[in-house]
Amino acid sequence: MRLILAAFVGGCLGTSLRFAADLAVPHSNDQFAAGTLVVNVLGALVLGWLVGGLWTRPSVPAWLKVALGPGLLGSFTTFSAVMVSVVAQGSTGLWALATGYLIASVVLGFGAAALGLWFGGRLPRPRERS
Amino acid sequence: MSVWALLSVVVCGGAATVIRYLVARAWPVRPGRLPGGVLLVNVVGSALGGVVLGLAERAAISADLQLVLLTGVCGGLTTFSTWSVETIELVNRGRWRSAVVNAGLTLALGVGVATLGYLLAR
Repeated sequence: MRLILAAFVGGCLGTSLRFAADLAVPHSNDQFAAGTLVVNVLGALVLGWLVGGLWTRPSVPAWLKVALGPGLLGSFTTFSAVMVSVVAQGSTGLWALATGYLIASVVLGFGAAALGLWFGGRLPRPRERS
Repeated sequence: MSVWALLSVVVCGGAATVIRYLVARAWPVRPGRLPGGVLLVNVVGSALGGVVLGLAERAAISADLQLVLLTGVCGGLTTFSTWSVETIELVNRGRWRSAVVNAGLTLALGVGVATLGYLLAR
């Protein structure tokens, strides 16, 4: 129950932050959604860093992992918004924009996740070394 | 935008996050295998997103409801970060085929069901 509550609180926070980014960088459904792209790339980078680094330490409590991982960062980033943008762009005939947006999201998102995991794995681990 | 719509976006986002968490937990990721839970929620969320886009195009739903469903429900249910990190973890374990399948299948199904939902609803 505590883990479900952690997911809920993290999810509310992540959704609020993504919503704020949407409002800060307004766009219609068929425009290049720069806000969503930045949110997804940033979220993938931070989650990679956490999974590669902090998560590997036994001292991190499960509720914190759930609140930050699936909760905050999981809900901060969105897959459906990318799909909705691509369909909206395609339906107005903007195929190049739709393809470019999809490729940019995947390449930058996966690149950010890889970079985050790599950085996380290089974090110093004082406890194990002492 | 009303205060209620704003509050609904946040609470629906939190509730959808709980659903995604429970689905992912019910379908635990075995190392090197396809993360089925995240695939499922991303595809379901994309289908719903397509339907909402179609309904919005013919003004069948209000702007507030569109916001609650797209930003709250679909946004909270689906995730880009977990999908990216799990795919790269497969690559790092040398499971190239699983990584390509996870990336490709999510994208193909996502675009497919979102388009289908849009076409059926508009």
